[in-house]
Amino acid sequence: MRQSRTMNLREIVVMAFISAVFGVLYLVWIFLGQLVTGILGPVGGGLMAGFWIMAPIVCALIIQKPGAALFAELIAAGTEIMVGSVNAGSVLILGFTQGIGAELVFAMFRYRHFKLPVLMLAGMAGTTASFLTEFAIYGYSQFAAGVVWFMLGTMLLSGLLLAGWGSHYLTWALEKTGVLHNFAIGRNSRAEKQERGAS
Amino acid sequence: MLEHYQQKDRFLQRVNPSLKLGAVLVIIIMMVPVFDPWTPLLLFGVTVALITGLGGVHLRFLGLLLLPFLLFAFSFVWIQVVFPDERGGTILFTIGSLPVSLENVSTGVSLGMRALVFGSWSLLFVLTTEPSRFMLSLIQQCKLPPRFGYGMMAAFRFLPLFRDELRQIRTAHRIRGLGEKRGLRQLKRYFIPLMAGAIRKAERTAVAMESKGFDGSRNRTFYHRIHWNRHDAYFTGLFLLLLTTIWFVSTPWSA
Repeated sequence: MRQSRTMNLREIVVMAFISAVFGVLYLVWIFLGQLVTGILGPVGGGLMAGFWIMAPIVCALIIQKPGAALFAELIAAGTEIMVGSVNAGSVLILGFTQGIGAELVFAMFRYRHFKLPVLMLAGMAGTTASFLTEFAIYGYSQFAAGVVWFMLGTMLLSGLLLAGWGSHYLTWALEKTGVLHNFAIGRNSRAEKQERGAS
Repeated sequence: MLEHYQQKDRFLQRVNPSLKLGAVLVIIIMMVPVFDPWTPLLLFGVTVALITGLGGVHLRFLGLLLLPFLLFAFSFVWIQVVFPDERGGTILFTIGSLPVSLENVSTGVSLGMRALVFGSWSLLFVLTTEPSRFMLSLIQQCKLPPRFGYGMMAAFRFLPLFRDELRQIRTAHRIRGLGEKRGLRQLKRYFIPLMAGAIRKAERTAVAMESKGFDGSRNRTFYHRIHWNRHDAYFTGLFLLLLTTIWFVSTPWSA
């Protein structure tokens, strides 16, 4: 059965719940991030950046529809603001650009491929987007070029590992519990198993 | 503590949430080309005065919230001194063999203060805006689709429940003798049951919303309507005045 490409209410609410939990985790992570950044500088902060791209990748992998990644990140940012982030303004801008970064990669694969390499690419696109945004709003142009490139490198690595592999690992662990049977990820994995059983 | 300030009946609390959020975004964009330390310093002072004067927030509480930001802001100073784009000519003193120049310190302070300005404006929004008013304003003034608005609201209302659930999971683990070890693997042990519970609750919530006739259409009625009022006009006037001042004070904009 061909599923509609727009998200229905059930998918939106599930996405909102997942992203809201991530939003709270992001807040804890920001606090940690500021501590690490304060001591190691923006380079150390770069290694933590991938965590902020987890909500869009987890939601896109579960729902597999256009817009899931962008809206997931916006909802996570919105939750952070509602819970009371001390960084509400930048969080909103970053949420938007990070969501777009991840979304672009999924769009490039026409929302058909959600294997690990695609997720890793999306994670890297997300951290690249956050790097560009931070570069502009926090004035990284004033730092030595070497440091800035190194920072981009750590952020890409973090996007690859934390956002890409981490989301993949957690989402598939979640799929095994059976709660995702009604969503694209559960349907597709069941269809795959049937095919394998038939052949 | 947050609700205490959000529900106060002061000027900033009455301003439309969407307008306040818009102002925060404008400030962030405005600060992008500014690299002198005086503009953000001035802006920070004005913002703190606004929050305490027009929002009724105690200075001590505000300071406590901005404290972690200080460390974050300080990182900009030392990174700027150690790894600057261009080293300045006016040497203040040297640490070991590292010359510390006035130009680099001033740029570092500017960037650090910029982070503090963003933080203070975010607090101006967060401390004076009730979450439900914020969401209603997004739906009514910014035309956010109600499906997303109410979905987010529902998720937000469930957050305290998740905290209880986390405690439950921890107790359940302890009863089964899994101990209290902390680590990456342990994190997964909490994350998966919590998320699985969240997804189940979300599905039930969505069914409940649909069965009560929520169809996500835009022409719905609201119990609370967020209207534009005269406070919004005053706030806009005040904000424009602030922007003009920055315009004349900071070099990149006036030059």
